[in-house]
Amino acid sequence: MTTDERPTLRLTLLTVLVAGMLLALLSRLWFLQVLAGERYAELADSNRVRFVVLDAPRGRILAQDGQELVKNRPAQTVSAHPRDLLDLRGEPLDEDAARVLDRLSVLLDLEQDRIVERLLSRKYSPFRPVPVAEDVPREVILAVNEHKELFRGVEAETLPVRTYPHGTMAAHLVGYLGEINETELTEVEYAGYRPGDLIGWAGLERTYESDLNGQEGLRKLEVNAKGDVLRVFEERPPVRGNDLVTSLDLELQGEVERILEEGIIASREIERKDGRFLPSVAGAAVVLDPRDGSVRAMASYPVFDPSQFVGGVTQGYWDFLRDAANEYPLLNRAVQSAYPPGSVFKIVSGSAALLGGLITTESRISCPPAWRLGNLTFRNWSPRHEGSMDLTRALKRSCDTFFYELARQEWSREEAQPDDQVDETLPRVAAEFGLGARLGVDLPSESPGVIPSREWRKTYWEQHKDTYCRKAEELTPGSYAQRVNADLCRDGGRWRGGDAVNRSIGQGDVLLTPLQVAATYMAIANGGTVYAPQVGERIVDFDGTVIREIEPEVVSTLSLTPAQMAEIRRGLEAVVMDRTFPSGTGSSAFRDFPIETIPVAGKTGTAELRPKVPYAWFASYAPANDPQYVVVVAVEQGGGGSQTAAPIVRSIYDAIFDLGDTEFEEGPRTD
Amino acid sequence: MESGYFGADRSQRIARERVQAQWMDAYAPIRHLDPVLVLIALALSVIGIAMVYSAKAHQLQLQQLPTDLYATKQTIALAVGMVALLVTATFDYRYFRAYAIAVYVGSLLGLVLVLTPLGVEVNGTQAWLSFGGFQLQPAEFAKVAVIVTLAALLHERRETPGIVTVALGLVIVGVPLLLILQQPDPGTATVFLWLAFALFLVGNIQARYLGAMLAAGIAGVWAVLRFELLAKHQVDRLTAFLDPNNPALSQSIRYNADQSLIAIGSGQFLGKGYMDGTQTNLAYVPENHTDFIFTVVGEEFGFVGATIVLGLFALLMWRGIRIAMMAKDLFGTLLAVGAVAMIAFQVFVNVGMAVGIMPVIGIPLPFVSYGGTSLIAGLVLIGLLLNVHMRRF
Repeated sequence: MTTDERPTLRLTLLTVLVAGMLLALLSRLWFLQVLAGERYAELADSNRVRFVVLDAPRGRILAQDGQELVKNRPAQTVSAHPRDLLDLRGEPLDEDAARVLDRLSVLLDLEQDRIVERLLSRKYSPFRPVPVAEDVPREVILAVNEHKELFRGVEAETLPVRTYPHGTMAAHLVGYLGEINETELTEVEYAGYRPGDLIGWAGLERTYESDLNGQEGLRKLEVNAKGDVLRVFEERPPVRGNDLVTSLDLELQGEVERILEEGIIASREIERKDGRFLPSVAGAAVVLDPRDGSVRAMASYPVFDPSQFVGGVTQGYWDFLRDAANEYPLLNRAVQSAYPPGSVFKIVSGSAALLGGLITTESRISCPPAWRLGNLTFRNWSPRHEGSMDLTRALKRSCDTFFYELARQEWSREEAQPDDQVDETLPRVAAEFGLGARLGVDLPSESPGVIPSREWRKTYWEQHKDTYCRKAEELTPGSYAQRVNADLCRDGGRWRGGDAVNRSIGQGDVLLTPLQVAATYMAIANGGTVYAPQVGERIVDFDGTVIREIEPEVVSTLSLTPAQMAEIRRGLEAVVMDRTFPSGTGSSAFRDFPIETIPVAGKTGTAELRPKVPYAWFASYAPANDPQYVVVVAVEQGGGGSQTAAPIVRSIYDAIFDLGDTEFEEGPRTD
Repeated sequence: MESGYFGADRSQRIARERVQAQWMDAYAPIRHLDPVLVLIALALSVIGIAMVYSAKAHQLQLQQLPTDLYATKQTIALAVGMVALLVTATFDYRYFRAYAIAVYVGSLLGLVLVLTPLGVEVNGTQAWLSFGGFQLQPAEFAKVAVIVTLAALLHERRETPGIVTVALGLVIVGVPLLLILQQPDPGTATVFLWLAFALFLVGNIQARYLGAMLAAGIAGVWAVLRFELLAKHQVDRLTAFLDPNNPALSQSIRYNADQSLIAIGSGQFLGKGYMDGTQTNLAYVPENHTDFIFTVVGEEFGFVGATIVLGLFALLMWRGIRIAMMAKDLFGTLLAVGAVAMIAFQVFVNVGMAVGIMPVIGIPLPFVSYGGTSLIAGLVLIGLLLNVHMRRF
């Protein structure tokens, strides 16, 4: 072969081609490693460094003696890292990821769509794996941990969740947790919270959120491509939330709840005059310590189960809670429901009469079965003439007409005053009892109730005038309702004598919560101080060191003189303990009660709320000579106070003073 | 006279024979070994073993396996490969022309066997034959066989390099190519197309046939895309590198390429140091001991290290082309061209996919990637180059 046979030219061509390839690689390497190197170095770091949020256990809620009302338990949770399984469109990342999702779906018995939905949900922190299933059986956790290769991007973790060792006990007080929503996230109160965080939605969990909530920790880890942790760079440990010690007497709380429920259910056996049974749909009970306003027990019926909220409430249970037919179990009726108080309000109107100078402790007023104001007739609950009586006896017999007369006198006096400077005695005295506004209990959504006054009447009328006028036109001319509406349309903003009369016996537009009634009796019991009722007593850290004492808070003080106060107390004692004929309205419920050793003072109430069956009330304190307990019970549509509420209160005292169980026994129908 | 003849001529003859012996000695093949070539091949192989060790050590440690598991296997392959190199270099390459057909048929047999149940499937490709713990990749040997056979054909028909030669050549390339597509391993198949092109180019095939081949190749690619002959995800996988920022491409398709870029880019100028690459140690780059071995070089030794490795390949190719230039006959030239072309193409595609300028197709980096068959085949090619070089006179 000669030189010119050698394909030199073509070889050179090939050489140039190969040299070009090498040059292309080299220039690309220059770009990647030298020009863009720093950016890639950052990407490499973000690859291997993973932040893990360490959940801080929430503080516990304890009874006064340290027993746990709410604590945390470890919940086995299966979580997954979305970016290991799904792409941006929510499709499985690859075949391997699709298989992992299939396996998860089978293992958790959960539809794959549901899993993907949770993984894509934006409410979870990008720093932590998204919980896919909570409270899974141990076998599931073992399966995931033992076959990590089959569950790429899936983690089995143990997360602290709320648990309620005493079941539904004190559910309304404790409340429950829920995920923070978008609005709350923007609020100052929740600065530092992130989507997916649990916050107190109700009860003490909500009021003491900032104390109970711990501070989550953060762990900076080096992970490999499989997600195995190789090294911990740094770790900020989680700080456990502080515990809340309450003033609740756990044993009593349980008894009160049981007695309220049993009493309400038993009262449904009571037949009314028209042959129907008492509905007794719902109720509340409050036990306060009158010496500082602390709540010893508080019950609301019906109850709900706070453990249903752990890990998210199911739609079914939520619907149950929101169904009117179930009387809204989430409502803490002791604090959030304002009812017409009926005759339990008479200590307020009595105090107003004393302070307004309408009567003295000596004054006597007649108690006829019927009493007239203009062309209107107002009746006493009792059909017989009870004679002339002082305030003590008026309370004992709960004489309505006695208070009607006082209301008329007060109204006439106020009408005589110039329009712009009427001194309204009753609203002023009611304010001394802390009524007409929120007491400031450490439970959320407290109702302020209503104490009607001239100004209240005017404002209310202005808001509702249009409705009255429309109804006056629409309804059949001449009918009762049409005439009432026509009257209200024309002149509804005026405070009338009838309004004052109704108000004096806790009717008309007066609305009070059971807690407000309890606060009123607390002030009489302790000599005139209205404390803001409080459930929380102190905040302690995990080893019991006191972080903060929750001091009793004085809302107001009564300006009654000791003699006036004593007059009212004598009346309340007579209600329960005076058995001379005609006996006190609450006395029959306390038959056989050792009043010699444990004197009890109280007041019945039967509030009309037509067309409903009356609301039953009993408000009380004991021992009457050294009050340590204020007990108030209200039963919605429970009929007469002496009939339904007083027997329940009596049972509560039996429990308080350890007198042995008493069966619910219907009381007589008085007031 | 006799004595005179013997007397006078004997010394002359001795002198003549001495000169002849010196001449013969100077042209003895062993005197013309190319040490540079051997040293480069050895250097690349040793670098490869070191990279394989770094790529796998941490993961093997996590699995509580010996950290040098892969490196040891590769070292054994290097030893076997050196023996194969010596054997290939020893016998005059011109004899290979006679045995070309036998070698070729033998390699086809291997490719057929691998498709039978004797073949072992890894990552969806049935490319390995297993013999008591050792695994063999027949396609690697088929590359060598095709180079030898094609070179023999083109040498044989060097006077008439017409359409018939082209057709025969295409048959020689086509049969193993179709067998390899059955595995399926389209990446390796492209190597055969490239080998055909390179050998035809240097083997004096007329420009019009080369042009037609190029046109057919382009038309083929167009047809594949136009008529959707491949599944969507296969096309995506091949074209992903053209559009690195397209979020519509699912992460899994881009994952390898992305992680590879991050590994190499983050090595920056000097690298993170041997055994200190985070992407490498933490296994972010899949297959970083085989197809993505270059990411280990790039991450741990930076631009400097990558340039040195590419430089070694450049030296190797320069030596190879020099040998092709100096070869005694066309067969020798074509053997050398085949060896250089194969190595150059694999380097370009392999490093190209690691740096994101080529699609991700499974082609090993010669001498460096983990894989005994690939290393042995590479060393056989070096043996061929040496053989041609030693016998250039």
